[in-house]
Parts: sequence; C-alpha cells; structure tokens
Amino acid sequence: MPAVIDIRGVHRIYESAAGYTHALKGVTLRVERGEFLCVMGPSGSGKSTLMNTLGCLDTPTSGTYRLEGVDVSTLTDDELAELRATRLGFVFQSYNLLPRATVLRNVMLPLVYSDCPVSQREQLARKALASVSLPEQYFDHRSNELSGGQMQRVAIARALVNDPAVILADEPTGNLDTATGNMVLRTFRRLRDEGKTIVLITHDAEVADWADRTVHIRDGRLLTDEQERALQAAHPGTRSAT
Amino acid sequence: MRIRDLVWETGSALDANRGRSLLTVLGIVIGIAAVIAMTALIGGVKQSLVGELGLNQARMVDFFAWPEREVTLDDLKNLEERMPEYECLTATSYANGEVKSETKTFSGTIMGVLPNYERVMGVKMTQGSFIKDHDQDSVALVAVLDQGAVKQLYGSPDEQVVGRTISISNVSYSVVGVSESTSYMGNGGTVYLPFSTCASRLTGDWGIGSINGLAREDADMSTIAETTMQTLADYFQMSEDQAKEDVYAYTMQSVIDELETTMASFQLLMTAVASISLVVGGIGIMNMMLTNVTERIREIGLRKALGARSSDITKQFLLESVCLCLAGGFIGVVLGYLGSFALTGVAGSMMELGATSAPLRPMIDVKSVAMVTGICILIGVLFGYYPARRAARLDPVESLHYQ
Ligand SMILES: Nc1ncnc2c1ncn2[C@@H]1O[C@H](COP(=O)(O)OP(=O)(O)O)[C@@H](O)[C@H]1O
Ligand SMILES: [Mg+2]
Repeated sequence: MPAVIDIRGVHRIYESAAGYTHALKGVTLRVERGEFLCVMGPSGSGKSTLMNTLGCLDTPTSGTYRLEGVDVSTLTDDELAELRATRLGFVFQSYNLLPRATVLRNVMLPLVYSDCPVSQREQLARKALASVSLPEQYFDHRSNELSGGQMQRVAIARALVNDPAVILADEPTGNLDTATGNMVLRTFRRLRDEGKTIVLITHDAEVADWADRTVHIRDGRLLTDEQERALQAAHPGTRSAT
Repeated sequence: MRIRDLVWETGSALDANRGRSLLTVLGIVIGIAAVIAMTALIGGVKQSLVGELGLNQARMVDFFAWPEREVTLDDLKNLEERMPEYECLTATSYANGEVKSETKTFSGTIMGVLPNYERVMGVKMTQGSFIKDHDQDSVALVAVLDQGAVKQLYGSPDEQVVGRTISISNVSYSVVGVSESTSYMGNGGTVYLPFSTCASRLTGDWGIGSINGLAREDADMSTIAETTMQTLADYFQMSEDQAKEDVYAYTMQSVIDELETTMASFQLLMTAVASISLVVGGIGIMNMMLTNVTERIREIGLRKALGARSSDITKQFLLESVCLCLAGGFIGVVLGYLGSFALTGVAGSMMELGATSAPLRPMIDVKSVAMVTGICILIGVLFGYYPARRAARLDPVESLHYQ
C-alpha cells in the first residue's frame, strides 16, 4: 500500500516582479496512513508553500508528488479539482467559512463539488459535526454567530465530511487562545485515533507536541530532528521565531 | 455540481444583495418595458383594426367603374362570373333623406344593400338580424340601423329598437336589426334598406353605387386590385385612358400596409430606446458582477480549494447574472404592460380610430414574453461571461489570502 503522501525532490520557485524566490529547495517527505504529522518552521520558511503543494492548489516547479500513489503532475485541472473535493480536506488559520450560511450548509459545501447525492449530504454533515463534538443546537446557526473555537471545529468538520485521505491544516490554532487552541488540537488528536491522516503546519513548538512526528522546515529545506537539535544548540532562541 | 446547488447558490447570492441588484437591473427594466410596451401597443392596434374592420376585411376589395351607362345588378352577376378570385360580390346604392323616429329626425347615410353585404363587409349585429334574401325579393319595407343611427333617433345606441318603426320620405319601415358602427362608415349614422326597396322607394333607379368583393382566402391580395381593374375595363369596354379615370379598386390591405408604415417608425424609435437601455443595463450588470467577484474572491478561493472546478465557478456567476437579467425582465414586462395601458390613450387618438370603435387594448402575447426571456438570457450570458470567467480563472492560493 503506497504512502498517503510521497513527495520527492520538490522545488518551488516563485517568479515575481521582485525576482525569484526559492521557497522549497528539494523537499522529500512521506506521510503514512493514520499519521499525525506536524511541519514546523519560522515564518517565511516555506510552510504554506508546502501545504499548498500537498493540497494540489499549487504545482511544484520540479520534483514529484504522489497522493495515494497517483502522480498528480499527470492530472488535468478538473481531475485536480475532483481530488481536492474527494481526497483532501483543508483547515485554514482564518476558518474561511461562508458567514451567512448555516453551520450545516458550510459543512455540506464540499459535498456540492464531490457529486454527493443531495439526500445523503445532511446525514454526512451531521456525522462530521458530531466527530468534532459541536453541539447539535448550533447546526442551524449562521456561522458568523459562533465563537472562534466553534468556527474552527466547523471548519474541521467541513474538511472531514468527504472522508478524505488527508486533512491539511495550516496554522489552525493561530487565531485562537491557548485553551481553545488545545480543544481544537484535541479534536485533531481524536481524529488521528480514529485513523485519519493529518498534516498540521505551525510555528509553535507547543502545538507540535500534539503530533506523532514533527519535521522542521527552514529556508525551504526539511531538517531531521537531529539536524534541528544541532541547529538549536548553535543558535539558541531561533525556535521561537514567529 | 448539480442544478439544484447552482440554483440555491444563485438564490442566496442575489438575496444577499437585494437592494444593489434592484438598482443594477434598472437599465434592463427600462429596456424590457420599452420592448413590451411597443409590442403590446402594436399588437393592440392591429387587434383593434381587425375588430374595427371585421375579420374579413383584409380580404375585402372596394371597386367600381363608371362607364357611359348605368351599372346594374345584371352587370354584378356577369362580373361575378368573370372574377373567380372572389367568393362573392355585393352591390350598394346610396340615397339621402330625412330619417324619422317617433320623436327625432336626422339626415344620415341611407344605403341600399344586398343581403350578402353582411358577409362581405363583416357586419356585426348587436340586435336582431340583417336584411334577408326574402326582404330583397319582396321589396320589403324593413331597415337595419347602425348604432350611430340608433343614437340619433332614440338618444342612446343601446336602446332596444327591433320592431319599432322609422319613416323616410313618408314611407314607414320596420326596424329588424342593429349593427355595430364602424369608423369606416363614419359615425353620423347609417340606415340599411334592401337594395330593391331603396331603388323603388327612394332613388327611383336601379343603378349600383359601388361594389364590394370578398376575395377567396387563397387570393393574392397584392395583385387583386390590378386584376380587378383590368377585368372591369375589359367588361365595360373602356379605353386605356378612360379606365385610368373611371375605374378604381381599393383593398383594405393597403390601409393595413399604410398603418404598418406608421407603426414601423414608432417601432424604430422604441427599438432604439430599448437597445440603448439594454446595452446600458448589460454594462450595469457586468459592473455589478465584477464587484461581486472582487467582493467574493476569498469565497471563490475557498470553493476551489474545496473542489470546485473552473466550470462550476463560471456556471455559478453566469447563472447569477442571467437571473439578475431575468428578474429585471420580469419587472420590465409588468411595467411595460402597465405603461402600454397609459400609452393607448395617446396612440388611440394618434391613429384617429373612432370614438365609437372598439377600444384600443394593449395585447400581451406569449411570443413577446418568450422573446423578452430570450433577450434577458442573452444579455445575462453576454455581459456576465467576462466577470464569470474572471472569477473562474482566479488562482486559489492567492484568492484564499486576499484581504
Ligand atoms: N505567491 C508568491 N509569490 C512570490 N513569493 C512568494 C509567494 N508566496 C510565498 N512567497 C515567498 O516564499 C517564501 C515562503 O513563503 P511561505 O510558504 O508563505 O512561508 P510560511 O508559510 O512558512 O510563512 C517566502 O519568502 C515568501 O515571501
Ligand atoms: Mg504561512
């Protein structure tokens, strides 16, 4: 059985008016099924670029990316969209819920694009909301009436609803206080116990403690734990960079 | 993405921007209102014309010739044989005189007519019946009044007068029917007598004053006047010069054609107004859709991240602009129809359709509503396509982080 995520020698070079930015420099990474992986690194190190690559929102300049054994570089735009609809779940730092739509409607949104029969949608959405422990009384609230922690749990339910191969979360606790953040992390932890694959991106070491495994990214390169520790010893304090 | 999802998304998006949407579609509303007012008015004028002239009138030909001698009913019979393009011909003679009821007197048109006059001219009866064959054969002392004459003689055009007696030159006639007035005959009032009665009692001669023919349904109305004049000239053995002076044939088709020319200039004006406001309206729609796309960049990025294909985004925004246009079109249809009621008064007097004639009523037909629906969809697609494609082409990563 292939790894859920298998990227090899991935480079990403941004071209802009200011010149070239080499955001990923030969990244190689495997994520196995059921793993809760944390990618940690300071701001500007290439975390979001990596996340967008894993989420098939961005195409690497070079290198290969296999998602469940499928080389995504061979897929058309519509096939990539289908992959995002069915195999990938996103959780963003700023929740990105539709503010006027109800909680249920928000959670059902990915089902609209995955060709799920209308009759099954609400049931799937309720199931996903139950697994992030959002009380049923909120299901018909508009999402902008919820607290930040509740909104992020709705967003996780939305990422879950299609039963994706992997849930990608980019700084999911970045906008939350520690207690609420921990509640969200506990939710991820429980999903991992249920067998979900999770890749979480953060610059916060305490968040990384919730994961099974942590990889460090610095200037577009992944470091092993040993390399990271060596770096820490040489330049204490860089770890808490924002 | 299913149709149902598309409709739901469109409904909620439009609902969120109700006020702005309403203002935006104003151009479409005005354009469509103009289209509807125009077609309703033209339809109404045509309709009232058909009602006015009778259904047969497009097939009616008014013709006559003045040879050196009197034209008689025998000539009519001969002409009927020579003119196979007509279903039947009818003859009319004219007289003048004082017409009296028990209380009132008026001098109107008195016409001697054959019984088939009713069919050829499409006369519509409001009371009793028209002159019959046996009235003509027995030179009966009967009369048919039109509503104008009833009004002159009894005060109101709706007075029940069948069975009453009128007198003309001291001869009494019994009224057997009342017909609708037509502005074609003038509003002064007309009294119809059997042709034979008119000849023997009033004019004293059996000469015909004019002939009307009802063309067969398959007759070519554009050439029938020409053919008829030729036949008349041949029959009466008139020289070419004489025929030019003394033969005429006149079809209602030419009246309708004339009216259509007048309508065409009106139509041109309204079409100009409509197209300008539709283009302006379309640009308004495009502007609003571009604003919409900009305001919803994050939402678009999110939808793409959640698996929307470019075509899903295109469809969503296209449907939104089409629905905007259709909503504008619907309001426009209602306003245009109401507006055409207001305009009918003006147009009615402009067309100089008589006061006693059928009122000019705007016509709304399925065809113009279908046309408007088509126009709205076209504008929605035409002006919504660019904003929709712009939305569909947005880069998901950049849109997700757009502030
Ligand atoms: N669209 C872009 N165009 C140009 N440069 C970019 C773009 N996105 C990111 N970068 C650059 O790539 C590098 C990595 O960025 P990013 O992946 O966002 O890092 P992180 O999420 O770890 O803060 C940064 O130097 C950033 O300025
Ligand atoms: Mg980032």
